[in-house]
Amino acid sequence: MRRLLEGLAPYAEFGRVGFVNILAFRLRYFTGIITYSLNVTIYYFIWKAIYHPGQSIAGYNMPQMITYVCAGWIIRSFYTNTIDQEMAYEVIEGRIAMDLIKPVSVPWMWISRAMGESAFRLGLLTLPTAFVVAFVFPMQGPASREDLLLFLFATLGSFFLMGAIGVLIGTCAIPLKSILALVRAKQWVIELLSGLLLPMPFFPEKFRAVLAWLPFEHIAYTPLQIYLGKLGRTQALHALAAEWLWVIVLLALAHAWWNHSLRRITIQGG
Amino acid sequence: MADSLDARRVPQDANSAFRGRQTRGRAQPAVPQGSRNGRISPLMSADPLIQVRDLNKHFRMFRRREGVWGAVQNLFVREYQTVEAVRHATFSIHRGEMVGYIGPNGAGKSTTIKMLTGILVPTSGEIRINGLVPFRQRRQYVKTIGVVFGQRTQLWWDIAVIESFKLLRRIYGVSQEDFDARMKRFDEVLGIRGYLHTPVRKLSLGERMRCDLAAALLHNPPLLFLDEPTIGLDVVAKDHIRQFLRAVNREFQTTILLTTHDLDELCRRILIIDHGRVLFDGQLEDLKQRLLRMKQIKVVLRDRSQISALESVSLSGLELEHVDEMTCRIRFDRTQISTADLIRRILASVEVRDLLIEDESIEEIVKRIYAGEAFQELPAQAGPEQAFGNAD
Repeated sequence: MRRLLEGLAPYAEFGRVGFVNILAFRLRYFTGIITYSLNVTIYYFIWKAIYHPGQSIAGYNMPQMITYVCAGWIIRSFYTNTIDQEMAYEVIEGRIAMDLIKPVSVPWMWISRAMGESAFRLGLLTLPTAFVVAFVFPMQGPASREDLLLFLFATLGSFFLMGAIGVLIGTCAIPLKSILALVRAKQWVIELLSGLLLPMPFFPEKFRAVLAWLPFEHIAYTPLQIYLGKLGRTQALHALAAEWLWVIVLLALAHAWWNHSLRRITIQGG
Repeated sequence: MADSLDARRVPQDANSAFRGRQTRGRAQPAVPQGSRNGRISPLMSADPLIQVRDLNKHFRMFRRREGVWGAVQNLFVREYQTVEAVRHATFSIHRGEMVGYIGPNGAGKSTTIKMLTGILVPTSGEIRINGLVPFRQRRQYVKTIGVVFGQRTQLWWDIAVIESFKLLRRIYGVSQEDFDARMKRFDEVLGIRGYLHTPVRKLSLGERMRCDLAAALLHNPPLLFLDEPTIGLDVVAKDHIRQFLRAVNREFQTTILLTTHDLDELCRRILIIDHGRVLFDGQLEDLKQRLLRMKQIKVVLRDRSQISALESVSLSGLELEHVDEMTCRIRFDRTQISTADLIRRILASVEVRDLLIEDESIEEIVKRIYAGEAFQELPAQAGPEQAFGNAD
């Protein structure tokens, strides 16, 4: 147990540095609150234009849909990360060398740093945004206390899914060098396929069947369904199990891909 | 050999800030007593700390075609070109040595250092350091080394220096008291206290380099790699860092391998590399002895009328250069004419106020090595004690 704690200490410290690092850019977070609130506002008015009073689309009535949008953007401010961008810059500028001279697992280092940043954002971005959004828009509370708990647990899973995806994409910078286009593409694909922009029932049947075999819908759709209380207890637990299974699979893939790519590293300059 | 990973040097100085470096009670003196002053002769310990055999690193570079049509072609068919950054490098370094790795830009120095530090994977060949293969056992290996890259920093750019140090303390598992003691010692020698609370991006290059040196030595590694540690620094800062390195090498028997292209006389032993090949491996003194060919004598004359007399002396194939109307510089090849003879001839024919005999600078010698001239002279003269890496 003591050895485990000693082994984890550096990663806790990376988390702390991620936290401190962000403090250097406080302003970004105040503008962040505005950006996220703006996103919610846009989708609020879009859905308001689409819905007739009392109408239900794909099983969502209007208050549910507004809550889905609000909660979706609020948790996005927590689970998101910039691992892939930062890794890309490190590889391009050769700073990756300085990570490799440290006796740590580089993928875990990145995820720990992202965790520190997410912890920071939770306090300075997620909660203030939640406060503003809940105050301005007719957002419903969680379906039940248990659902809230499961929802939080699912959101934590979303963080790890995004972390693993970040490392997977970021590592592509080693063979590809310039991946900023890939990073942008990933961002859009995930916003769409995670269910952040549209709940999954809005997708065509066949497409949904394919998506069910992919990890993306667990990022936003799964926690939001739990929040809305749309899943029964067993269904919710199944969804959670599937999500965390994907967490393990993607983390393993991220490590394997990183270890494989290490052999191809070249460092330009200096 | 495997045991020696944790076998740390036990410092002799009882007040040493580095004293606490026993890792979980397994410390044992690994260095033979005779090597205390850090100058180990290769004969003394049988197995070297660093062993490099037939090391190669090839990069496959994407060659871009020119022009618009070329750019379109690049999209579909890529042409690659193989660059041999390091070729057949073989050398070994013993504990406590301080070795200078010298070469012009693009010679393959940095690539070698990056393979030695486990960052790059060699194309072929063998590296064994402290019984470990750097890239294969990276996490275990890098605990035993410190690395400074002159053009990069391992500190976090936007946060205070002390935060980075705290992070490194955790990463390397340095105890709080060792940490405090070492920080105190680094402050004494490097004077870093003043900017510990400043973010790295606001530091000057000299200040940053001091912090980076401290960061690399925080866990008191037995082996320190420095890649151009004095690049871009002013004379005072350079000197400061040289003194610090000398002290670290002397006090803690830290083995130091540093690359540089300015030739300070910091290291007794040097490795010269160019075009990926080791051209010379031996003592700096030896290099001088063997390759020092040109000498020069600066002659200050008593009066102007003596100039023509001096010109007549130097007729025999010597180069004469007028510095000013009273001063001349005569360059000569010491293998052709002995210094004593020449001085005798000068004194016999002109009235001299002052004489100054100068050796060719090391820079000049190394320039000749790079040009390939000295390279041809070397193998014939090489004694058995001298290893010439692949002088083919």
